[in-house]
Amino acid sequence: MSITRREFVAASASAAALAAAPAAFARGDDTLRVGLIGCGGRGTGAAEDCLRASPGMRLVALADLLPERLKGCRDNLTNPSREGGALPVKLDDEHCFTGFDAYARLVALKEVDLVLLATPPGFRPIHLAAAIEAGKHVFAEKPVAVDPAGIRTVLEAGAKAKEKNLAVVAGTQRRHERRYLETMKRLHDGALGEIVAARCGWNQGRLWHVDRRKEWSDVEWQCRNWLYFSWLSGDHIVEQHVHNIDVMNWALRAHPVRATAVGGRIARVEPRFGHIYDHFCVDFEYPNGVHVTSTCRQIDGCDGWVGEEITGSLGSANPAGSIDGPNAWRFKGDSPNPYVEEHRDMVASIRDGKPLNETQAVAESTMAAILGREAAYSGKTLSWDAMMKSSLDLSPKEYAFGELPVAPVAVPGRRA
Amino acid sequence: MEIKVGLVGCGGRGTGAAENCITSAPDVKLVAMADMFQNRLDQSRKYLEGLKHPGVRVEDRNCFVGFDAYRKLIDGGVDLVLLCTPPGFRPQHVEAAVDAGRHVFMEKPVAVDPVGCRRVIAAGKRAAEKKLTVVAGTQYRHHEQFVETVKRMREGAIGTVRAGRIAYNTSALWKVDRKPGESDMEWQIRNWINIDWLSGDHIVEQHIHTIDVMVWAMGGPPVRAVGSGGRSVRAPDNGNIYDHFSVDYEWPGGVHVLSLCRQWNNTDQHVGAYFHGTKGVAAPYSGEITGPSAWKYRGAATLGTSYVQEHADLVASIRSGAAVNEAEAVSVSTLVAIMGRQSAYTGRAITWEEISRSLIDYSPERYEFGPLPARPVPIPGRVP
Repeated sequence: MSITRREFVAASASAAALAAAPAAFARGDDTLRVGLIGCGGRGTGAAEDCLRASPGMRLVALADLLPERLKGCRDNLTNPSREGGALPVKLDDEHCFTGFDAYARLVALKEVDLVLLATPPGFRPIHLAAAIEAGKHVFAEKPVAVDPAGIRTVLEAGAKAKEKNLAVVAGTQRRHERRYLETMKRLHDGALGEIVAARCGWNQGRLWHVDRRKEWSDVEWQCRNWLYFSWLSGDHIVEQHVHNIDVMNWALRAHPVRATAVGGRIARVEPRFGHIYDHFCVDFEYPNGVHVTSTCRQIDGCDGWVGEEITGSLGSANPAGSIDGPNAWRFKGDSPNPYVEEHRDMVASIRDGKPLNETQAVAESTMAAILGREAAYSGKTLSWDAMMKSSLDLSPKEYAFGELPVAPVAVPGRRA
Repeated sequence: MEIKVGLVGCGGRGTGAAENCITSAPDVKLVAMADMFQNRLDQSRKYLEGLKHPGVRVEDRNCFVGFDAYRKLIDGGVDLVLLCTPPGFRPQHVEAAVDAGRHVFMEKPVAVDPVGCRRVIAAGKRAAEKKLTVVAGTQYRHHEQFVETVKRMREGAIGTVRAGRIAYNTSALWKVDRKPGESDMEWQIRNWINIDWLSGDHIVEQHIHTIDVMVWAMGGPPVRAVGSGGRSVRAPDNGNIYDHFSVDYEWPGGVHVLSLCRQWNNTDQHVGAYFHGTKGVAAPYSGEITGPSAWKYRGAATLGTSYVQEHADLVASIRSGAAVNEAEAVSVSTLVAIMGRQSAYTGRAITWEEISRSLIDYSPERYEFGPLPARPVPIPGRVP
């Protein structure tokens, strides 16, 4: 049996490092074998970004709740004449899993080194915990949970990942976007003086929906139309606006301590849109009395704004690449596609043996969004500490197709 | 010099304003009352006469009801009128009072639409020419704690203002159910707080106080408003206004103030205004400034005393001949509230320039009891 130089280097590493090393190194080549859990649009995109970001990648397994979603994704990713050229994919039927337990069968595969978690976020905590338990590196799409119970599961999994020297990289891609990184560095170096306030928003039209068919059970329809059910999406403040809230936490190097909010469902009221709100506005209080205004809206025909602004004693900054005031600065140059960069950074960190672990940051950003949502749903001013201890758990009693009445729309002041 | 006062609008606030006015200074006499409804007038008169105060001297012949009651009162022998009806009527009442040469106390808000705001501004200018006093019921401008806090802030105690936030987060107010046989118009007026053309929605009707403090502290109106809002708790049959708003008001230099207001029962309540500067925070509602120029108001003024103080200031200005005229200031604040409302209703950013020129006019075609279908609840993105 011959031994490659790379194997030799790997074998020469310390015994402890070897024990913790990913399967790829132990197995004798440096190909990272990828499994995708959640074969929708974002999952398919994440797989492509991951496979193209670095050499030596191979997609070897797929999992999805629904057979036709998996097939669509498989056909797409294995299409040799797809845009950008064929992807390094080696899939067979034995490595394609469907159903509620598909994720478990995928993470049980010895040959998988890295899993991409891209299902609706309601499933994320379970999937993340299972993947870390099985010793896989993880790329987890944002948000990583929909309720405090899920957040606690995610934080535990993140701590376990640290012990096992496993990567957990999150789909909050701005953290891997050069123009953001360059601006944040300057902000943290004091370019704005003291930060006084900040604003962030995700205001746009409505997203897609899936109309109900009579052959679908409650659960199946809700899973297909998942954006509109808080147990699956967390509501749009969590599902979408988490990106901007993440930038707030990053800029302020903290999470909110308190939130007061308004919100409602004024334009998107039909039953096909489940029970989520269509607008929120949150006053987040951060340490030292700094307040952050967060607005998000999914209503057609309204003015849009997606972005962030940081206001300091010396000026203001758009964290996407500009600073005004005495330390005025504009990002110039190339800012590579962050959806690819996040995978490049992740794979490089795995290969360096220093896997990135972004669990804490993405869990805190997700939690901040949950805090804002709950402040709006309840009409209460809610503290971070109380919310972290909250028993709120939106998950259904069992994961199976069947009956699940749509929960009523939240009415502030009327919640238990 | 005795001042003869006429009260137009005998509801809770009107009755309170009349009491505040007659007790604010000697020789101020309530002599006439007007209201849409006899029962409201009787109730108010009974309460005021029950005070056994020498300042109440209302005779039957000086009591008027109906849509033209205000005109009869104004045309009678009064020096000062207190305009306290639902705000939808305010512009026409202010115009009539000023044109008849009366001094004016007018409750906030002073209009429900941009056209109404401009009418009040124009009437205010005519009042200035006639040296008439016009005081508004934005009583915080007469509240020593607020005056002192805003003065320090304007003098630089918190450095340069970089951001702010204001809130009027409170419970639902009252509603009046429709009685059998009541016309649309009568029911809407009795239930006015829940009807857009009468109250202007709660951001205008109630949050105007906090918005006025904001405009005062910031030294003028914002250039732009981006708002949202909706009905999360209101019953479908309860009027056509919202129950919550959020508005991002922007000033030149990228200074943003977040404005929140909601009328939600069983939720956390908070009314306040905070201005965050380069050197500290100014909080007029707690009379406090933090930072290197930290300061705390230690005087005795309260909200209660400010309701009387605004009338004392009014009476003093009439007696001294140094007319006070708050018409423009309160109209600007009212228009800022309307600007936020319109942004929430439409889902569009609204500039100060746009709202200042806006032709939105909520007033009904005819002021008479009869059919008046309520406008549907505005849906953002679908309202022009």
